[in-house]
Amino acid sequence: MGTSLIQEKFASIRKGLLEFLILKIVASDKVYVADILRRLSTTEFATQEGTLYPLLSKMRREGAVDYDWQESDTGPPRKYYKLTAKGKSQLDELTEYWAYINQTFDNVGQG
Amino acid sequence: MWDKVNHMQKVITINLNGNAYQLDELGYDELRRYLMYAEAQLAGNPDASEILRDLEQSIAEKCQRLLGPGKSVVTTPEIAQILREIGPVENGGGAQHGSREADSPASPHAKRLYQIREGAMVSGVANGLAAHFNVDPTIVRVAFALGAVLEMTGYDRPPVFTIGLYVLLVFIVPYAKTPEERAAAQGASTSLPYRLQHAVEKVKAKFDGLHHRAQ
Repeated sequence: MGTSLIQEKFASIRKGLLEFLILKIVASDKVYVADILRRLSTTEFATQEGTLYPLLSKMRREGAVDYDWQESDTGPPRKYYKLTAKGKSQLDELTEYWAYINQTFDNVGQG
Repeated sequence: MWDKVNHMQKVITINLNGNAYQLDELGYDELRRYLMYAEAQLAGNPDASEILRDLEQSIAEKCQRLLGPGKSVVTTPEIAQILREIGPVENGGGAQHGSREADSPASPHAKRLYQIREGAMVSGVANGLAAHFNVDPTIVRVAFALGAVLEMTGYDRPPVFTIGLYVLLVFIVPYAKTPEERAAAQGASTSLPYRLQHAVEKVKAKFDGLHHRAQ
């Protein structure tokens, strides 16, 4: 999916939403980058390490997520991301707002 | 005379986050280009070095998965596939972009002559000249020695000119002190490829035996 119309009209929205979705994923579980990529891979928001690492670094700098190093059986230690308290409140706020704009979208133009 | 055995591809050993991997030459070039581009994209991003480490780590893990007993070299198509999987670096950091972009590509391969201490025999003059003219430092050293011998036999005097020239260069050619200067000595515009190159040098000796077996 993703016609040129959607590409054009939703480019910046999708970018913002990707961050929101990452917050949701990190909130649901302790994940490392490959987990995040896998969960997004079947969605409209499939992405790549080249995009994800800079975004996660930014989110960490802003205090929404943090990571711990964890040993892995197959290779070098990995960064496992988790939500901070600040990230949790961001996610709550965004979720609420998302519901609100969905409602607006459904209602606007009616009546 | 150099190229009698030249249908073998040269193998280059690189160091990604502390692990050694072997790539063929084209694959190495591709990786280098990718990382240079990534670094340029991340110019001004306060997390740039961490992101580059993450990327190197990820590349290393993907290389690791391809290798095993009987396979010790990552081929060019494989590295190309890995880099496609990772995708181009997008500066999601929202950092102020552009300031460094403006001045770095102006002279992407501006080489400057420096003395290079790493691997120097005396002061780094031959090493620096070699990097500048892209030849093996040994050739430069042999040329100096040959110059001295010719001067001694041809003019029947101590090699004052050859040694004088060397000493003069020691005094007038600056040292490559910072990573940027060392990169400029190699003709690269950023420090990262230098880091890679340097890593190559460091592990090359160790893996020389392996190269032969790999081919």
